Amino acid sequence: MRITCPYCGARNLEEFTYRGDATVKRPDSLDESATEAWVDYVYLRKNPAGLHKEFWQHTGGCHAWLEVTRDTTTHEIVAVELASKGAEHKER
Amino acid sequence: MSELQSLSAFDGVSAAGRYGNPNGTAGVTLTERANLGLATLEVRKGQTVALAEKVQAMYGAALPVGPVSASGTGVRFVGIAPGQWFAVSETLPNEDLAGDLATKLQGLASVADHSSGRAVMRLEGPAVRDVLAKGLAVDIDPSVFIDGAAALTNIGHIGVLVWRDDEAFDLTVFRSFAGSFYGWLQASAAEFGIDVVT
Amino acid sequence: MSQINRLTGKGLVDHSKTVSFQFDGQHLEGHPGDTLASALLANGIRLVGRSFKYHRPRGILTAGSEEPNALVELRTGARREPNTRATTIELYDGLDAASQNRWPSLRYDLLSINQLASPVLSAGFYYKTFMWPASFWEKLYEPMIRRAAGLGYPSKQTDPDRYEKANAFCDVLVVGGGAAGLSAALAAARTGACVILCDEDFVLGGRLLSERGEIDGQSTQDWAKSAVAELESLPRCRIMRRTTVFGVYDGGTYAAVERVSDHLPEPPAHAPRQRLWRIVAKQSVICAGGFERPIVFGDNDRPGVMLASAVRTYVNRFGVTPGRNAVIFADNHEALRTASDLADAGVTVRAIVDPQPQPSATAEQVATETGALYINGIIDAVSGAYGIKSVRIKDAQGASKTIDCDVLAVSGGWNPALNLTTHLGGKPKWDNALSCLVPGDLPPGMRVAGAAAGQFSLQACLASGEAAGADSARDCGFSPSAPSRPAPTEDGSPVAPVWYVPSSRGKAFVDFQNDVAVSDIKLAAREGFRVPDHVKRYTTLGMATDQGKTSNLNGAALLAEATGRHLGAVGSTTFRPPYTPVAIGALAGHHRGKDFRPTRLAPSHAWAVEQGAVFVEAGAWLRALMFPKPGETAQETVDREVANTRTNVGVCDVSTLGKIDVQGSDAGTFLDRVYINGFSKLAVGKTRYGLMLREDGFAMDDGTTARLAENHFFMTTTTANAVKVSQHLEFCQQVLWPELDVQTVSQTEQWAQFAVAGPKSRKIIEALLDSGQDISNEAFPYMACGSFTACGGAPARIFRLSFSGELAYEIGVPARFGDGLIRTIMRAGAEFGIGPYGTEALGVMRIEKGHAAGPELNGQTTAHDLGLGRMMSKKKDFIGRFMGQREALNEAARAAIVGLKPLDPKMRINAGAHLVKRDAVANAENDQGYVTSQAYSPELKSFIGLAMLSDGPARYGEVVKVCDPLRDYETLAEVCSPHFIDPEGERLRV
Repeated sequence: MRITCPYCGARNLEEFTYRGDATVKRPDSLDESATEAWVDYVYLRKNPAGLHKEFWQHTGGCHAWLEVTRDTTTHEIVAVELASKGAEHKER
Repeated sequence: MSELQSLSAFDGVSAAGRYGNPNGTAGVTLTERANLGLATLEVRKGQTVALAEKVQAMYGAALPVGPVSASGTGVRFVGIAPGQWFAVSETLPNEDLAGDLATKLQGLASVADHSSGRAVMRLEGPAVRDVLAKGLAVDIDPSVFIDGAAALTNIGHIGVLVWRDDEAFDLTVFRSFAGSFYGWLQASAAEFGIDVVT
Repeated sequence: MSQINRLTGKGLVDHSKTVSFQFDGQHLEGHPGDTLASALLANGIRLVGRSFKYHRPRGILTAGSEEPNALVELRTGARREPNTRATTIELYDGLDAASQNRWPSLRYDLLSINQLASPVLSAGFYYKTFMWPASFWEKLYEPMIRRAAGLGYPSKQTDPDRYEKANAFCDVLVVGGGAAGLSAALAAARTGACVILCDEDFVLGGRLLSERGEIDGQSTQDWAKSAVAELESLPRCRIMRRTTVFGVYDGGTYAAVERVSDHLPEPPAHAPRQRLWRIVAKQSVICAGGFERPIVFGDNDRPGVMLASAVRTYVNRFGVTPGRNAVIFADNHEALRTASDLADAGVTVRAIVDPQPQPSATAEQVATETGALYINGIIDAVSGAYGIKSVRIKDAQGASKTIDCDVLAVSGGWNPALNLTTHLGGKPKWDNALSCLVPGDLPPGMRVAGAAAGQFSLQACLASGEAAGADSARDCGFSPSAPSRPAPTEDGSPVAPVWYVPSSRGKAFVDFQNDVAVSDIKLAAREGFRVPDHVKRYTTLGMATDQGKTSNLNGAALLAEATGRHLGAVGSTTFRPPYTPVAIGALAGHHRGKDFRPTRLAPSHAWAVEQGAVFVEAGAWLRALMFPKPGETAQETVDREVANTRTNVGVCDVSTLGKIDVQGSDAGTFLDRVYINGFSKLAVGKTRYGLMLREDGFAMDDGTTARLAENHFFMTTTTANAVKVSQHLEFCQQVLWPELDVQTVSQTEQWAQFAVAGPKSRKIIEALLDSGQDISNEAFPYMACGSFTACGGAPARIFRLSFSGELAYEIGVPARFGDGLIRTIMRAGAEFGIGPYGTEALGVMRIEKGHAAGPELNGQTTAHDLGLGRMMSKKKDFIGRFMGQREALNEAARAAIVGLKPLDPKMRINAGAHLVKRDAVANAENDQGYVTSQAYSPELKSFIGLAMLSDGPARYGEVVKVCDPLRDYETLAEVCSPHFIDPEGERLRV
């Protein structure tokens, strides 16, 4: 499999490290009522047959964390974006 | 000047001479580039434009926005990641480069010294691409990997930063891997013959 | 005997040169350009091996890599390679090959008695027969089966050859250099596209070399030669001979193995034996050709029975006839060329046997032209166990006739070599008109042309190859010229193939390599197997080195008939990589022995080698384990190193610990969030211990972080987790909190760092520092850090940290000074009795101090378990905070860290041992925890241990049983504080 890193270009699979579902959002750790959200975030994952948005890091290259949209049934990669996209504009 | 002896990454690893195939011109020549100034700079939050302007003003180089390198006065800036560059200098050797960058780019970039942390070597010669193809899983065809192009990748399970300087390739690996990398290089270049120059 | 079957003046071999070789010790000759198979046939040798199960005499069936029969042991000594196909071995001077699976000799083989037992050795025989008693399997059945079955033997010596890997990139990859492949490569390369053409053979041309046809007024052999010459003249075209593309992977990635030196007695100096290529291609054209199908009939495995196309290859390409009296048995017209070619070469063609229901005028005419008998009928019986002597032919009217012959050329039609089209899951589809499977859905960027696409005629190969090459180049952005070859018109109506001859006598083999006969497939069908992949596992049809290239479809046809289904509905087995066998050495490449993985050497490595250090692998690093002196036992060395550090001073290279530079205006906030404890309020010039959790609340890593400046921290990680922590920090930076102004970069390699530990360590550091710098206890207290200059101006960072529990400093200098610094430290420390210590002594001292390390940070422990629960900040957000607060992760009953002191100090506390109450039985029910680390403490003169014990901190003073049933060991130990030495830390602060 090859992944096209937005920075480095297309590279072989072994340069990348898989992390998993990129749609999960880290809940607020100071919100003591967020137990369910935390269990979801830490333990529960969907296992879709088809398109899946997932985190990969280009560990063998630029170290950028990527959001890769991959078809889990064919390994076709539909989109690759930097996970930090738009970070400059986020509120401090 | 410290009384401590300064050793390059290839000290004790490589010795000058001809190795591998002894016939004809060596397919590849290896020259260690010791005592270079080496540093990373990573842009501080929100300072992308200001940093580019400052680098242009101070070093006469346009900071590249992708995996390519740009040379200014005495310093080459190699794009290694979004907002990160690997700076290389002969004129600001060893720790001097990081010091110079940190001073001039204060508040715009975080600078870290790597002058001791990397082995840097130059490979050139008629078989240089054939040798590199034995480890580099990046297309280095001259039409694709143009002069100044750079790639951060792996060779033989060792992380490597490579950039093209005219017809030569400069490669950097972590200092601790110098021996293992040299072993791979010797094996891969053997069929063409390799000249090690120090 | 010298090449009695060589045809003078024919073929592409160099008749003017002679090559000597040996087969089973017999000295023989061939010519350059021969394969071992063609050279054996030239010498009249038909018997080359024994079959896998029944030890039946076997000969040469094919002329290519699909060969199921002619497997030999090639070379001798360490280079001996079993199961090598004689049909693909390029003949070289001095070649030495031996037949396999026979004893004492090929002709007289004792285990051929298995043939008599063949009714028992049917499909599923192992599963049914060797059921019980279970213990017999390992001791008796398996060794027995292994000796009787199997083919050749490996050398069992270290492979003396070198292998390597290489990468290539191209616009268009063309697989196969026959008519279609050459056309495709020409069409693509002429546009200026970057083209790679791979062919497994040593001469390009494929079947163009094997037939007597014409293209554009040239012989096919000459046309192939000129096409290759043109391709070689194009600068962006690369031809790779002796290179098999054996696998297709995602993203246009193709694996190929180049046999660089296999055609030579041994690899030339500095050359590898084989090279594994990873080719990344934007487009590919698969022109792998086709496989001719045998017809299945009784005793169809006798030496001398050969595929009709292979006979033509031996005659036309190698100038060899497989015999002098031939019979042709074919259900199709293409095979008639074999009769013509043999007759042309002066070989007697005795008969053409045509099993089709209706006689064929075309076939009859060829028979007349070649002087052969035309019989519309079948082969009824074959005689000649070690080589065919005659065949009995039964005609449509039932009349029999026996004809003497020494070669029987068989053809049941052709199958596309579509293997590469299925590696990514593509399913072949049935073509009714062609009566074969053709490629189905193709992976992105792949095209198929020529016989591999079911385009079997020469004109179709040329035209489809040209079109596919041009289209591929166009898809890469090049502009091909208009096609020069018109698509061919249909050449006659296809005929239904004849799969097997039910009435013939003798065992009828479907899969020669695995001795799978018609009866086995019928048996499998009777027992309920319906899917080809299941029948494969049950009967072994299509297994082993040839993966059923000549047998799969015949087997499927028999299965279809036996289960009353249409062959198109039955399908075939799934083809997976590799297409042909690949040496493990090629897959390993450079990475074997000491190069299995790269090694990292610490800055003091050369010096440590000089000191006679013993090294240990820590991840990729080699670290000094200990520095033994002559005559010492390992225990004595470690005891000495520990004692010297505790009484005088020791030095240890700690450069391998992960060092991460953390900068930015939000660096403090960032560290607050990745550690359980706070760092933003740490004073500049101070260092603090920190623990990181995973988000699930379990400990991930620990280390110290120093604040060098307001916006500048310097983090250390454990050696083992350095990379993992870096990636974790990068995730936090880029994904969780991209709004923070923080930059991290690994500086592990930049700094050579040494721990100088012991009561006299300050004196040494003072001696190293340039004058005017104060590291007195007042100016530079415990946990202080700062930048200094040492040894005449070298930049140095000093951290007053202690892992050993003594007064200690870590001094870091740029790594280029590392070797110089360790030598200077040793010189400066000589008067204070300095000695180096390795990781083993370091381990003892940290256990004596109760510091957690890898064995305690084992992925199952929480901050509470490590005795660090109170460090968890209540106020701030940090990784692992929420889940780490869960009750179950903090309850007293959890196993938490304690020390263990054996009641008898001479008794070990084995690491990995489990703990039960003093009088309890050692079983899982009574399990209360486990020992993580153990050491001998020279200071306490006792073995000691660290353990995770349920409710441990409340049980100091209790005696527990340390149970190690794996080593059959038990001892009693007292639970105590993990801080065995200097629990108040007074030694650190002096």
